[in-house]
Amino acid sequence: MTHEILRPHFPWITLVALIVIVGIANPAFFSVSGFVILMADVIPLLIMAIGMTFAIYIGGIDLSIQQLANMVTVMTTVYLAQFGISVALLVVLVGGLFGIISGFVTTRLYVPSFVSTLAIGFIALSIAKWLSNQRALFMDATLRDAHFGWMFGNTMGVPHELVIGLLLAFFAWLLQTRTPFGRALKAVGSGELAAVASGIDVDRVKIFAFGLSGMFAAFAGLMFSVKLSGGDAQLANGFLLLAIVAVLVGGTPLTGGVGGIINTVIGTLIVMVIRAAMVYLEIDATQQQMIFGIVLIVAIALTIDRSKLRSVVK
Amino acid sequence: MIRDIIVKWAPLLVLVFLVLLFPIFEWLEDFRAGKDHIYLLDSRFFSVRNASRIAVAATPGLMVAIGVTFIIIMGSIDLSMEGSVSISAVIFAFAFLALGGTLLSWAWLAIPAAMLVGAGIGFVNGLVHVVFRIPSFMVSLAMGFVGTGLALVLTGGDRIRIEDEVFRSLLTVRWLNFPIMCYVALLALLVAWFIQSHTTLGRNFYAIGGGEELAQASGLNVARIRVLGFALAGVFFALGALMAVGRIGIAETATGNNFMFISIAAVVVGGTALWGGIGGIPNTLVGILIVYVITNGMVVIGLPSWLQDGVLGVLVITAVVLSTSRKSISFVK
Amino acid sequence: MYQLKAVDKHFPGVHALQAVDFEVQRGEIVGLVGENGAGKSTLMKVIYGAYQPDGGEIKIDGKRVRFQNPRQAMDHGIGMVFQEQSLIPNLTVMENIFLGFEKQFVTFGVVSWRAMATAARAQLAKVKLDIDPTTITSDLSFAQRQLVELVKVLTLEERIDGDLVILLDEPTSVLAEEEVKLLFQIVRGLTKRASFIFVSHRISEVLELSDRIYIMKDGAVVDVVHSNDADLDDIQHKMVGREINSEYYREHKQQAYNSNDVLVSFDNVGLQGSYRNISFDLHAGEVLCLVGTEGSGREAILRTVFGRDPCNAGRVKIKGEPVTAFSPMAGVRRGIGHVPRERKIEGIVNGMNVYENMTLAQIRKFARLGIMNVPAEKQLANEWIERLGIKTPSVAKDCGGLSGGNQQKVVLAKWRSSGSDILLLDHPTRGLDIGAKEDVYEMIREMSANGVGILLAADTLEEAIGLSHTIIVLKDGEIQKRFEYATGSKPSLYDLVHHMI
Repeated sequence: MTHEILRPHFPWITLVALIVIVGIANPAFFSVSGFVILMADVIPLLIMAIGMTFAIYIGGIDLSIQQLANMVTVMTTVYLAQFGISVALLVVLVGGLFGIISGFVTTRLYVPSFVSTLAIGFIALSIAKWLSNQRALFMDATLRDAHFGWMFGNTMGVPHELVIGLLLAFFAWLLQTRTPFGRALKAVGSGELAAVASGIDVDRVKIFAFGLSGMFAAFAGLMFSVKLSGGDAQLANGFLLLAIVAVLVGGTPLTGGVGGIINTVIGTLIVMVIRAAMVYLEIDATQQQMIFGIVLIVAIALTIDRSKLRSVVK
Repeated sequence: MIRDIIVKWAPLLVLVFLVLLFPIFEWLEDFRAGKDHIYLLDSRFFSVRNASRIAVAATPGLMVAIGVTFIIIMGSIDLSMEGSVSISAVIFAFAFLALGGTLLSWAWLAIPAAMLVGAGIGFVNGLVHVVFRIPSFMVSLAMGFVGTGLALVLTGGDRIRIEDEVFRSLLTVRWLNFPIMCYVALLALLVAWFIQSHTTLGRNFYAIGGGEELAQASGLNVARIRVLGFALAGVFFALGALMAVGRIGIAETATGNNFMFISIAAVVVGGTALWGGIGGIPNTLVGILIVYVITNGMVVIGLPSWLQDGVLGVLVITAVVLSTSRKSISFVK
Repeated sequence: MYQLKAVDKHFPGVHALQAVDFEVQRGEIVGLVGENGAGKSTLMKVIYGAYQPDGGEIKIDGKRVRFQNPRQAMDHGIGMVFQEQSLIPNLTVMENIFLGFEKQFVTFGVVSWRAMATAARAQLAKVKLDIDPTTITSDLSFAQRQLVELVKVLTLEERIDGDLVILLDEPTSVLAEEEVKLLFQIVRGLTKRASFIFVSHRISEVLELSDRIYIMKDGAVVDVVHSNDADLDDIQHKMVGREINSEYYREHKQQAYNSNDVLVSFDNVGLQGSYRNISFDLHAGEVLCLVGTEGSGREAILRTVFGRDPCNAGRVKIKGEPVTAFSPMAGVRRGIGHVPRERKIEGIVNGMNVYENMTLAQIRKFARLGIMNVPAEKQLANEWIERLGIKTPSVAKDCGGLSGGNQQKVVLAKWRSSGSDILLLDHPTRGLDIGAKEDVYEMIREMSANGVGILLAADTLEEAIGLSHTIIVLKDGEIQKRFEYATGSKPSLYDLVHHMI
């Protein structure tokens, strides 16, 4: 019982504990400017994880986000000259479209989301390879600065990246907690059958959730591409794991209905602190994936709501 | 009823269709160029040499797909293959080099060692899945990440070369035009088929896939069977790793790349239902051949290689949709 | 030989079995009858080991036993032939028969299919079923599957030395007359080796087959009769028993409905596999109750009205408009509210609080410029909490934590606050205690007086009679009889039962 009461508070307690531990070991960690830089670094991940939150919140998963982001880095690089700043709009719409297709395949064609999104991801990969001719592409620096320079500047010591990330998080939070869509999302995630019996268009809610996941993944891809000044069909690889970790560590369980955007923000910060700790402890970067894999397993086991699983777990 | 029959035989028909389709393009091309070309006989695609090429390319994938077939028959899913293959390959390579570096020394022990590693990862997969009651796709996905991560830690990102001629004879020595590894794969295929159809374990996979609660009520130890299933799958993932290393002579973190999608594609395209209980090893053989015939055929007729991933993506969705009976499912997540 | 003494079983809020005495002699066929909810299935589960009783004792040959699970009961010779298909459809017949007991056919890890087939054939011969044991089970007819189920249990014969007790749960429900005869013949032939407990809704069949019949009502055995000196009417009367208390159902509050205002109209409507040729009109202020056994089609009819199971024959009109597109979304838009039987799964969203649940069917009405107006939601919730006397510490309390009665009130408030004037009540009082039931009855009367048309699938026949203006008795998907009446001239329970079975 105490476990049930404490569970919603695990994520932030974990975060605070980690910060304190890392901070005691390395007081430099507490410096505001250092913290801000760390946070700015983690923004693309935060955006991806926010998108993923919508997919997991309805009890699904989106394995296509990494490939979508990859495709978007290529698209941005290729079409920057032609569309200028509107390329941002283009890629976000394309990302949303892919997400909607995933949602459609999942809800209307009855393909489980881990397969549908995996397959859609490979279609995105195909497009990325085609657009990039399977090479790494580079952006024209002047064009990039002209159109997207605002993304990475500083205003009074506050990195613009951070502002963008927080704005998007705020927008997503508003959507999740304060809108009719958010309410329907909660109903679908917590009790799909009751949502149907209340006349909610469950399929549409789910399709929209996957659409959001795609849009956020695309925006993250856009940021990658601008940040690294180029595009490549493999640029965002490695972020799928981190995004799932961020969502689950934050306390949105795979069974959906609980948690949300705030949790994902906390989860992303936990990922950030773990990474920072690894740098400080001089743990080799090659170990990062293994460590996060283990963190993921532990997080799933701790957050999953077993009462919601049917008697059979497959 | 008719739908059932179509679904049952569609994969094989698709395979035959594809095998006959690609030579048509070749024939057309030669026809336009005004060359003499007898359909099928003068085909570069429809030749023993190309068949061998397809077979060699498909062997590692076949092994991995066989492994995941057992799991999918149970109605679960194993997404750990990329990590399992990488870590098995890397440990095999290290052990092989450490023990003498040639198959004629104690280094042969590296082969069972790799299979043990695979079985171990599968065992942990199954155990975590069953004991903590976590859906298998998530456990195995995470385990896959751990496996890849571990491989990365061990290699530090380096490639390990296996240059032993005896081991490489898997690829270099040919019997009847096909390299030895194809025969090894055939043997593994037969073993898998035997397990599926002639052992209690294999049949119990079907029972669980057909109705887990009913199987439990009939007194089956479902948890134990599941864990064994995942361990068995792990052994075949390790075999896939051995084939992959045998084929290119290199073990690295990236050895496992792409196996997840290819193997699942092969299983579902072959007609094994994601819901469990239907399909089996022969389906997976057909499925993997479809995947590699498409890949190879597209290259032969000069289609760009970037198309492959997308084509496979569409194919997977189509296959799952076709094999799904609408009535039996209410909600899909 | 097999004996239950004063067995009790409690579930939260329900006393499911009350001091039940039950006995089976060697070679005897015992019938077990009772209405839905009388406790038959609980008793069966206790017998075959799925439930452990929390009072009384189970004895076999005078020795006290206790089963932790069905497998242990099987080891004592007690087997269950399930009503719902318990065979795994993708396996062969022989694999199903020996599932979990394959060891006898395994040598060096290899299953000998030939040995298993031979053994299976021997088992199938017991019920004179001549099919290839390697047939895939899903290719069999229902009758054949039912026999295979029996065969599966009969393998106990070889495994167990002692006596066998075999439960047959509604074994005839999917069989044609000829097949029933055959089954009875087989069962009689098997009494040399085993005793049977035969559970069925078809009382005439129970009379025909059984030696003695236990009649259950409200969790207790009300009578045990010998089939030689019992008749159908007698048993039916005992099954339904008690007099109706008209006060309990608020009958004095029943008002005549407005027969000019038709809300739902069915004209020869049918849905393949569920019901056919159904015609009725539901009027404003009317309580129309569909009565029938499980599988009679009443749930499916409710689902069609709501839009979840589109019909494929006939015409449905709602408020005069022909319905072409069936969906719950459209149903809700047309003013239909659905109070489902599975309250905890389909009724409330466990994990959402009281006000969120109440506004679930009208989310958009509470949005201003795309933002939810939470204060307005809370205000609405508070109004309804007061109006219906919902006991909750606050509007922000998770609905999953409320009692069953209060959950049901939240569901009713959800539809009434959104202005639904057609309400589908599927077993609205299931699992509620008496006080909560009375509250629900009160609400039904009030809604009816306000001109809401109510389509009811009642939990008991008394409830159906007490609450409704009109009763339609269904059997096997067809209308058997229609009762229209006012207070004071209600049909008796027996009238209904007579047409149901």
